Amino acid sequence: MSEIMIDARNVTRNFSISRGMFRGKQTLRAVNGVDLTVKQGEVLALVGESGCGKTTLAKILLGLLPQTTGSVDLCGQPIMDVPRLELARTIQPIFQDPYSSLNPRKTIGSIIGLPMRVQGIEDSATIRQQVETTMDLVGLAARHYNAYPNQLSGGQRQRVAIARALVNRPQVVVCDEPTSALDVSVQSQILNLLSDLRKELNLTYIIISHNLAVVEHIATRVAVMYLGRLVEEAETSILFNNPNHPYTRALLESVLTPDPDLGIPNAELGASYPNPIDPPSGCAFHPRCARVMPCCAVTPPTGINSSGSYVACHLYDENGASNED
Amino acid sequence: MSDSVLDVKNLSVDIPLAEGILHAVDGIDIHVDKGETLCIVGESGCGKSLTSLAIMDLLPKKAIRRMERLDLAGTSILDYSERQMSDIRGSKMGMIFQEPMTSLNPAFTIGNQMIETLQRHRNMTGVAARDIAKGMLEKVGITAADQRLNQYPHQLSGGLRQRVMIAMTLLCEPELIIADEPTTALDVTIQAQILLLLQELQSEFDMGLILITHDLGVVARIATRVAVMYAGQIVEQGTVKQIFDNPMHPYTRGLMRCIPVPGKTKPGEPLGSIPGMVPSLVGKFTGCRFADRCNLVNDACRKSDIELRAESGKTQGYRCIIDAKEMAKVS
Repeated sequence: MSEIMIDARNVTRNFSISRGMFRGKQTLRAVNGVDLTVKQGEVLALVGESGCGKTTLAKILLGLLPQTTGSVDLCGQPIMDVPRLELARTIQPIFQDPYSSLNPRKTIGSIIGLPMRVQGIEDSATIRQQVETTMDLVGLAARHYNAYPNQLSGGQRQRVAIARALVNRPQVVVCDEPTSALDVSVQSQILNLLSDLRKELNLTYIIISHNLAVVEHIATRVAVMYLGRLVEEAETSILFNNPNHPYTRALLESVLTPDPDLGIPNAELGASYPNPIDPPSGCAFHPRCARVMPCCAVTPPTGINSSGSYVACHLYDENGASNED
Repeated sequence: MSDSVLDVKNLSVDIPLAEGILHAVDGIDIHVDKGETLCIVGESGCGKSLTSLAIMDLLPKKAIRRMERLDLAGTSILDYSERQMSDIRGSKMGMIFQEPMTSLNPAFTIGNQMIETLQRHRNMTGVAARDIAKGMLEKVGITAADQRLNQYPHQLSGGLRQRVMIAMTLLCEPELIIADEPTTALDVTIQAQILLLLQELQSEFDMGLILITHDLGVVARIATRVAVMYAGQIVEQGTVKQIFDNPMHPYTRGLMRCIPVPGKTKPGEPLGSIPGMVPSLVGKFTGCRFADRCNLVNDACRKSDIELRAESGKTQGYRCIIDAKEMAKVS
């Protein structure tokens, strides 16, 4: 249960942004010094506002983008040294929008079977059998085998995307906003399916989502990102009951639970998300933080690990301790 | 009823297709009072956006709109010409769309677009209009409004663009605002800010607000009344407390069970779900539209159309053959 599947150390990813013909390049740090460990059987949720680097991090963990510095190990082996076919057998993605992630010209059967053919399995009977088993697993009727994506509903298409990810029985699945393109009644079906599959196939999930109600429901650990950095990471129940970082608190306060007795929360986060090309000095969150201190604008906080939780905030290091008293 | 802002009776929208006529919206009554927020909830394809477009008379050319009554602030605008409608749109009723990037013109500055609205409806000079536009931008919480007026939409973030949209809608102080999924494209933190802003401005200007959304969390926090739509019909309506504390229609109940609620649903426990799919609305449809997905279905459901029941003091109504007493017994 405690085998480490993914171990990311100090991962940074830079992108060069052109500023115009003669003005040279500028560096955008999409992911900035992230440490992340995913154990087998865990469901790790990455949350944060758009533009905070969630998707870039997921692409690095999938081996689709090389990191600029730092190391990512998959099952103890550097991810860039794992042969592509083996990588694809171990870790698979599920994308947000099932309308654009499926080829409209291929049948469902051939979409789900493609990862097997890529792995060099040529016997069509074996492929068909495995595809039908997987379709059954994700709740797709066998009669859809020869259907095309446009004949299916959004929920069914997302099931096809899940089946395609699972057909080679990977150990880790990275889901990038798996339900945000779907209606609520379909969303609950897909969430139930994901948790059933996890038990049945002993999967490890990395789920990217901005819907915190969904995250609380499905995740075992939550990592909160802000401007490319990890600001807090903890067990789901700990994080939701006792958020430490001011940003996590603001995020949780902004969640609209369906309770007509409550009004609209005012998280007092200020208007704007900072420009990631030109991040604020010190702690990147300090211009929007409700509990900002003088040192926040100067030095970036170093992360504090305690009993499995991680928080990067001056309130919890020696600066905060002296300030509180 | 002098406080009525919008009164729509028996609205239907039909779209002729090759396979037959698609009854996208079928016999909807909408009533909004001053200072009231009506939320229309439903899944995609249930006709909520077409309803709002029908009220604004912005439907696609192919679509056929029919209704018995369309009153805006006590005046019937049912027979208005296109010219008269465009006088009303933007001045007496405004619309906020889902995606602020596509609803602002990328080729003009924010200022150009805001001033145009004022000049079209209020016959103002450019300088006076610019002053009002600047004031309105400040009102929706945009700092350095003077500079912002010279910026193009792509220079603004998503939250700012939506604020600009809201400011533009408010310029001529409309009586009614229709907001079609105004926060769906935004982050949760920005969503809360925009909703708060809408609510404050609404009570300040005493407007009627129709908010179309599929997010029940948003509905619970902002609505005064809720209408739940399913397959082109309103299946349940009532005050926000009635709908959330005591949902009557099986579809509303199903929706409530689908959403994970922090504190109520246990993490990892399976969520409720509504099996099946929304029926095709092409051609004639008899009986309850939810029958195929309902857990309380019986033979009578499919025989004849079901009327919207008006019970418990007339504010709550639902479209089901099972009466309130029976419904209270089943969960």
